[in-house]
Amino acid sequence: MAKDIPKAYVYINGRVVGTVAEPLSLVNEIRSGRRKGMLSGEVNVSYNEKLNSVNINTDRGRIRKPYIILENGKPKLTPEIIEKLKSREINFNYLLRNGIVEYLDAEEEENMLIALSEKEITPKHTHLEVDISSIFGFTINTSPYPEHNSLARHAMLANFTKQAQGLYASNFNQRFDSRAYILFYPQKPVVTTAAYDTVKMTNHPSGQNFVVALSTYYGYNMADAIVLNRAAVDRGLGRSMFYKTYVDEERRYPGGQRDKFKVPPPTADGYMGEHVYSKLSEDGIIEPELEVQEGDALIGKVAPPRFLEENLGAGGLEEKMRDDTAVLKTGEKGVVDSVIFTESTGATKIVKVRIRSLRIPENGDKFASRHGQKGVVALIVPPEDMPFTAEGIVPDLLLNPHSIPTRLTFGHLLETLGGKAGAVNGEIVDGTAFAEKGSDRIESYGKVLEQHGFDRYGNEVLYDGMTGIPFRSQIFNGVVYYNRLYHMVSNKIQVRSRGKVQILTHQPTEGKARQGALRFGEMERDALIGYGASLLLKERLLDQSDKAVVLVCKDCGMLGYYDHIKKTMICPLTKGSNFVEVEISYAFKVLLDEIKSLHIMTSIKLNE
Amino acid sequence: MAKDKEVSKYLVEYGEPVGIIAAQSVGEPGTQMILRSFHLAGIESTISTSGLPRIIELVDAKKKPSTPITYIYLDEKIGKNFDRATEVLKSINEVRMGSIAKRVLENFTKGKIKVVLDKQELESEGVTIKHVAGKIDKALNLDSVVEDNGIVISMHTRNLKEIRAATINLMKMLVSGVDGAGKGTIRRDDKTGEFYLVSAGSNIEGIMQVEGVDRTRTTTNDVFAIYRLFGIEAARNSLALELKKTLKEQKISVDERHLNLIADAMTASGTIKGVGRHGLSGEKKSVFARAAYEETLKHLIHAAAFGEVDSMRGVTENILVGKQIPIGTGAVRLAIKKEDMAKIKPQTSKKD
Repeated sequence: MAKDIPKAYVYINGRVVGTVAEPLSLVNEIRSGRRKGMLSGEVNVSYNEKLNSVNINTDRGRIRKPYIILENGKPKLTPEIIEKLKSREINFNYLLRNGIVEYLDAEEEENMLIALSEKEITPKHTHLEVDISSIFGFTINTSPYPEHNSLARHAMLANFTKQAQGLYASNFNQRFDSRAYILFYPQKPVVTTAAYDTVKMTNHPSGQNFVVALSTYYGYNMADAIVLNRAAVDRGLGRSMFYKTYVDEERRYPGGQRDKFKVPPPTADGYMGEHVYSKLSEDGIIEPELEVQEGDALIGKVAPPRFLEENLGAGGLEEKMRDDTAVLKTGEKGVVDSVIFTESTGATKIVKVRIRSLRIPENGDKFASRHGQKGVVALIVPPEDMPFTAEGIVPDLLLNPHSIPTRLTFGHLLETLGGKAGAVNGEIVDGTAFAEKGSDRIESYGKVLEQHGFDRYGNEVLYDGMTGIPFRSQIFNGVVYYNRLYHMVSNKIQVRSRGKVQILTHQPTEGKARQGALRFGEMERDALIGYGASLLLKERLLDQSDKAVVLVCKDCGMLGYYDHIKKTMICPLTKGSNFVEVEISYAFKVLLDEIKSLHIMTSIKLNE
Repeated sequence: MAKDKEVSKYLVEYGEPVGIIAAQSVGEPGTQMILRSFHLAGIESTISTSGLPRIIELVDAKKKPSTPITYIYLDEKIGKNFDRATEVLKSINEVRMGSIAKRVLENFTKGKIKVVLDKQELESEGVTIKHVAGKIDKALNLDSVVEDNGIVISMHTRNLKEIRAATINLMKMLVSGVDGAGKGTIRRDDKTGEFYLVSAGSNIEGIMQVEGVDRTRTTTNDVFAIYRLFGIEAARNSLALELKKTLKEQKISVDERHLNLIADAMTASGTIKGVGRHGLSGEKKSVFARAAYEETLKHLIHAAAFGEVDSMRGVTENILVGKQIPIGTGAVRLAIKKEDMAKIKPQTSKKD
């Protein structure tokens, strides 16, 4: 038999090291050596039947997963060993060293037959999954009932989990992160999963349990909008604090000059006016617990002038300084939370000022459940106008039922039911993937709900808050764990009608930080031309942008200027004053200037 | 006359920016083309470029299409007969020495080149060894002798370079078929049952001289080949047709008048011009319009050196300086001078 099989190549980390006549016995020998602890547990070996090759991998970057080893159809991880583990007599490394659990990489996995649960073990099986839910990764396992959701929604969930506001660190009061969000009353989810406990997420949760009714509300929750209950919001639902840190440093410059923290003197270049610095204390730094508005100075600082020659001319004792004060950015306000002084590695002084401001949920804030179901607050309804149950329970959130079927997030419905059962029973519900069959889960939750006098499927008669009349159909409601995501309108809102313009082109600025306008771009321009709206186009591109009135010399066609001393208009070429006032775009004027700087004369000839 | 009224309803109004609308109408569905491109299965030599690359090729007025294809229709009698159609195909198929030669042996000491020919190839192309030998004598002016499976050519020189050059020339030599016609295949029209040929070349001038080819229906996707043979009007039609065909292949529906306009603009000067820098955009009258597009400095310097005048009639230059554009509502002017307005008495109607 062995003679028929040609010798198999043996590869170590992809390189041929030799051949072997009996590849399987080599593989088995390496495996048993690894399980006995004679070889490193990081060695993976596999036999590829098609290529007749033995692949031994020891390099880094392989993805590996632990499995329980089966012996004679029985897992080597016996109840006795589990007891020992629980009593901390032994640890996980003991299991690895003694061949009870081993890590397999993707290649070696191909040689194995892995049972998903103890029940389905046959003599053919070689390994047992530690838990069925481990066929999913960590992020998916933080979601309850993931086996009932679509994969696309899981991908979204993974993103939302990262964006959730919560208790990101318990020492957040001592930290000076450039931005931080702290949820006021974070709660453990009623429906939890095994992975949640494993990574201690229950110790620093990032969401709250909302009472959710799957109901429309006058079209205010169309297309992924959500309706919140004002009473719940007023009691702290989804409320969070936003922290932002401003940092400034006393830099040193070549030539012995340095910055200085102090209230800038009015003589400083770029002085912004007394009112700006009014909240600074004597040392030039703001005091904690002061309320600040946009434009208020936080860290007063003077810096040496940017260009050296400015200093030479003055000659006086007083050094000319430039104002380089850190000011609260536009649209921001809050309370100074904390101020610290520290030192950089280069022994320069550093000041950090942390601003805190309250973020109560408002229209436009983003929430998401753990099923990739995101939504934006569209209306916060007074409690008296919200629908209520016979018991007087008013939902915190109204979710549009249309958002479920197309997204295939049936886990959301299961969580609603499971959360309700857990809430009425006062128990945490397990939503780990594959822990139970879906129908069994519905059955057991239904029993709990019936015991407490609820409908077994979570439906209830709701009454219209405005009329008091019961709705014609029963409405499904329950408890769902929601995350408040850090996309909040108050950090993003920006308006402008008239405002700052760029120095060079006199066109409006761009971007929120510069109070900019929205760009009327090339494609928008094409749309107006295509429609033939020539006057609207002129208004957008000239009147609302960089209109400039220039003097054009009738004789030579060059631009002239108004001499304020002589109070006359002068053409630099003809020295005459025979002018016409012409409206052009400032960008065109700049173009003419630049062409002139190339020693090319441009001449504007006017009709009439 | 009712007909006239009906037609006038659909006429483009004065000042309508048809060019921009055409560009938008082609450009918008064009963005989808990058995302999903359909490909048709077929023999390698007859697959033509399709989708966005083909549109770019047409609009840029490339001299040679990346996949030239000629659809050769045959005279009525020949078209119904497969064997006769095959004969025509054989007389068109471009066969070069290199493709029928099995081996080439150069004897530098004796100054001889021996070419062993592939019998199967010869048969499938329908050429005899004698025919090949005759071609060599005629085309390259060399002495050749037929020897069992090959041809021996005696050179007058033993110069290594010359022999090698002769070999290379020999391999490139056209044995049979039409120069530049490429390799073709026979296809059958499912509707009429007629056979026609598809070849991967675009020498329609040569192809049309072959006996049995129906000159009235034979066509190519090479716009420039059509322009050279039939002139600018035919080229315009071909260009518009190719644009329409490419869009239809991608299941994109654009009104054909937009495509006709593009074809018109590209051929209006009498030659085919691309729309880019070296074509329509680069030949605009306005200095500013050209400088705003590409190669700003080149146009400004040229304008300065030659004292160009911009008469401000186009769209781009008027947007640049901030004037109302002469398009749409800006296209109309007051016909009467302001001073003359006072002289005109308002007409009073008799019924008043």
